[in-house]
Amino acid sequence: MSQSLRPYLTAVRFSLEAALTLSNFSSQEVERHNRPEVEVPNTNAELLLQPMHISRNEHEQVLIEPSVNSIRVSLKVKQADEIEQILVHMFTRFLEQRAESFYILRRVPIEGYSISFLITNKHTESMKTDKLIDFIIEFMEDVDKEISEIKLFLNARARFTAEAYLGEFVY
Amino acid sequence: MLHLKPNNLLIQKTFSEALEANANGAPLSLDRIISDFDYTTFHVSNSPDDKSVLWLSIKTKAWQSVTQCDQGKNGLLPFLASKYQSAKGISIPQSFENGYDYTLQADLKTIDQDTINQLSLLKIFVMNYPFQLAFNEFVELSNMPVLEEPTGSSTSSSKNLYTIEYRDEENIFIRPSNDRITVIFETVFQDETDKVLGKVFLQEFVDARKRNRDIQSAPQVLFSHEPPLELQSHLRKAANNTDLSRRFITFVLFPRHFQTPELQFSTVCQLTLFRNYFHYHIKCSKAYMHSRMRYRVGSFIKVLNRAKVDEDESETAGAEGTKEPVQRRTFTGRKMVY
Amino acid sequence: MSYINNPAVVMDNGTGLTKLGFAGNDSPSWIFPTAIATSQGGSSSNAKKSMSSSAASSATAGNPYYGNSTSATSFNDNNLSSMLLSNNLAGKRGTEDLDFYIGNEALVASQGPSYSLSYPIRHGQVENWDHMERFWENSIFKYLRTEPEDHFFLLTEPPLNPPENREQIAEIFFESFNCAGLYIAVQAVLALAASWTSSKVTDRSLTGTVIDSGDGVTHVIPVAEGYVIGSAIKNIPIAGRDITLFIQSLLRERGEADTSLRTAERIKQEYCYVCPDIVKEFNKFDRDGEKFAQFVVENQESTRKKIVDVGYERFLAPEIFFNPEIASSDFLTPLPTVVDQTIQACPIDVRKGLYNNIVLSGGSTMFKDFGRRLQRDLKGIVNNRIAQSEMLSGTKSTGVNVQVISHRKQRNAVWFGGSLLAQTAEFKGYCHTKKDYDEYGPEIVRNFSLFNMV
Repeated sequence: MSQSLRPYLTAVRFSLEAALTLSNFSSQEVERHNRPEVEVPNTNAELLLQPMHISRNEHEQVLIEPSVNSIRVSLKVKQADEIEQILVHMFTRFLEQRAESFYILRRVPIEGYSISFLITNKHTESMKTDKLIDFIIEFMEDVDKEISEIKLFLNARARFTAEAYLGEFVY
Repeated sequence: MLHLKPNNLLIQKTFSEALEANANGAPLSLDRIISDFDYTTFHVSNSPDDKSVLWLSIKTKAWQSVTQCDQGKNGLLPFLASKYQSAKGISIPQSFENGYDYTLQADLKTIDQDTINQLSLLKIFVMNYPFQLAFNEFVELSNMPVLEEPTGSSTSSSKNLYTIEYRDEENIFIRPSNDRITVIFETVFQDETDKVLGKVFLQEFVDARKRNRDIQSAPQVLFSHEPPLELQSHLRKAANNTDLSRRFITFVLFPRHFQTPELQFSTVCQLTLFRNYFHYHIKCSKAYMHSRMRYRVGSFIKVLNRAKVDEDESETAGAEGTKEPVQRRTFTGRKMVY
Repeated sequence: MSYINNPAVVMDNGTGLTKLGFAGNDSPSWIFPTAIATSQGGSSSNAKKSMSSSAASSATAGNPYYGNSTSATSFNDNNLSSMLLSNNLAGKRGTEDLDFYIGNEALVASQGPSYSLSYPIRHGQVENWDHMERFWENSIFKYLRTEPEDHFFLLTEPPLNPPENREQIAEIFFESFNCAGLYIAVQAVLALAASWTSSKVTDRSLTGTVIDSGDGVTHVIPVAEGYVIGSAIKNIPIAGRDITLFIQSLLRERGEADTSLRTAERIKQEYCYVCPDIVKEFNKFDRDGEKFAQFVVENQESTRKKIVDVGYERFLAPEIFFNPEIASSDFLTPLPTVVDQTIQACPIDVRKGLYNNIVLSGGSTMFKDFGRRLQRDLKGIVNNRIAQSEMLSGTKSTGVNVQVISHRKQRNAVWFGGSLLAQTAEFKGYCHTKKDYDEYGPEIVRNFSLFNMV
């Protein structure tokens, strides 16, 4: 693990711990509605907290937007070149396609980020908060690993097929 | 499967079946379409008068450009006829089936497995013709005394450029010269992902020969966005076509790749399948990535499920503790699998 | 865009067998088991590392994978000699995902030590997407030799397939294969369309009851105007395999020379028929020795020949559809009763149409006179009900017409229906194209417009 990754993840972990203090909160505007305040256009400034922005470098950033009953965590996954870009796109879309089984995954990421999670008070009531944070941290680590592994695979495969093809010309 | 085979498995199968049925005295009535790569369709049908005679017709996108390769000498039909001359039971009818470019007539009473193999290579033979012209011209050029050109170059290349328009926006160009034959593939990617993946693959084709000593004798491969010099005069008229994903892949064949007819044939087989080959492998790697990602989804969900309280514990403590957390059931009671 | 002229590809992936072919053909080009043999990795021998696969074809006569199969678990050919074309991948690291075989080749490969066999479809539904994706990959490139970018595809799905599965199919076909267009049709609807070739069918409607009996399970599916009435579908746990097992048990009881599953299957396919009345049929057999048959089992080396007598099982085996108690103890409802219950569970205004158009599909409905017997039994049930209601109400019923339709394309009815629909000029208009997919995402395949009926 490189020098700056550990502090980066630690910062994300502490920020999430601080942000994940959610409580049930009925809508102030619509009767009998109970909605994630972070997701609705909100005029009530008291419901939204200050967003936190943690940035390791310009490619890897986390945006945490807390509110009274929900937080939104958006990740920007490292994309060094065109290939990684397309791989990240493929991977996040694959995950979002299966968002239903991820409970906290948002089907569409926030503009400018690769993937977003939405955690509401419903989730924190049925899941352990520290384990949820573990999941997000592990996710951040694994996505990077996975992307670079796929990239390696792709290069290896391309090399292999090219050599196999040209090998047919060797008599 | 690593390599695509030049022969069409389905033609082989259809004719083998027909041959067997005919031998058993119950000839099949056939009216089948069979397809091949690059807008090629075959049609297998019984001859109207005799059930034991089958027609194999081919229609392929490349046909028109291939017939024009020899500037009106109409050499393609004799060329194909020569390929099937030695095959048992094959004759060429006077007129071809309506809607198709070429027809072969196979007499089930006399054909054998070798003939069937020859039939399954029909498309390759069609594509082979321009290559054959190039091989012939190479011989002519290399036998000519090298003129001392004022430019100082000792190579004299043909003014002929054989073009096979085998797909909508993708062509093969063949240019013989006195010491080599240059084969240029023009290729376009439709899909965004493919553009990027295709670049990785094509780059490896260029690098493979440099890196691996075992394949030093393979043709040299070059790869560019710009039309290579050989094509520039030719392509000027189509210059308005400015697709950014357009790529040119050049194979430089040296005499060692086409010294004998067998080598020529296997080289042609490889080259005609080049585009299909690397597109096939791009698709295979996408399929492999999908399975990796499915595996990841599974492992992520496992981590996430660790966070769940109570519900699961009380449930699993009950009847069975072996329930996979990944599998859920839909309202119809069926399992969903990711 | 010259793919307009390319034939559409029709793929029917069933639990046991996969049928592949091109629209417009009268039968599938390939029929082979939906099986995949994957490399177990590691221990594979490096013996065949020869990279010299000559460019000219090396396929020889009598390849085991040439023949169309009729069974999901065994060949119709005896020569299982190692005709497998080496794919030159054994023992190469990093390419395990290319090292696999499908169909008949998979059955051959799995007999060796380095491959393990699996069936990616269970109960009509895809269970293992990784394997299925590779199965399709090989079907398209090796067996059909098509560039998916140039072709439209018609795939089939079982009734009540969750929409998520459709999305998975779309994801694979559009993202991995970049296919030009995709249509996913419900198998029962295609089976109805296939019945249009029968002379008994006068109007081409998509209303009817489909009895689909394959290897594993028999479905009775009511379809109204092209839509499956999901709530009324009934399954019968009696199908081809149960008949084979039943024959096998009869053979064993008699102590025949060969009681293998293969022999039982061959007997089922070649000798069995449906009789109008079992008691009379028993008498007929006792009076007339001609009815008994003999089946010759050819050994693999075809040196020794075993002779198996074929007796009552000729009519007894298919009888388990109509009298299940002779073979099973847990399922006792005869097929005609199940069909009647299914139709009675449907909305009242489509019932007449459902009785009038009962369509058979699948290999296990191929027994001689199967349709006739079903029609007679079902008519009996319906007439009884009408008589009873006439007696109770005192009014005259207008009558219900019961008609069971058998036709020549029955065995591959689903595939054939797909081929019929996919060759129409409108077909491509009903497909979702790659462009649609890129714009809207996988959820577009949740809806397909139905074919307009002529």
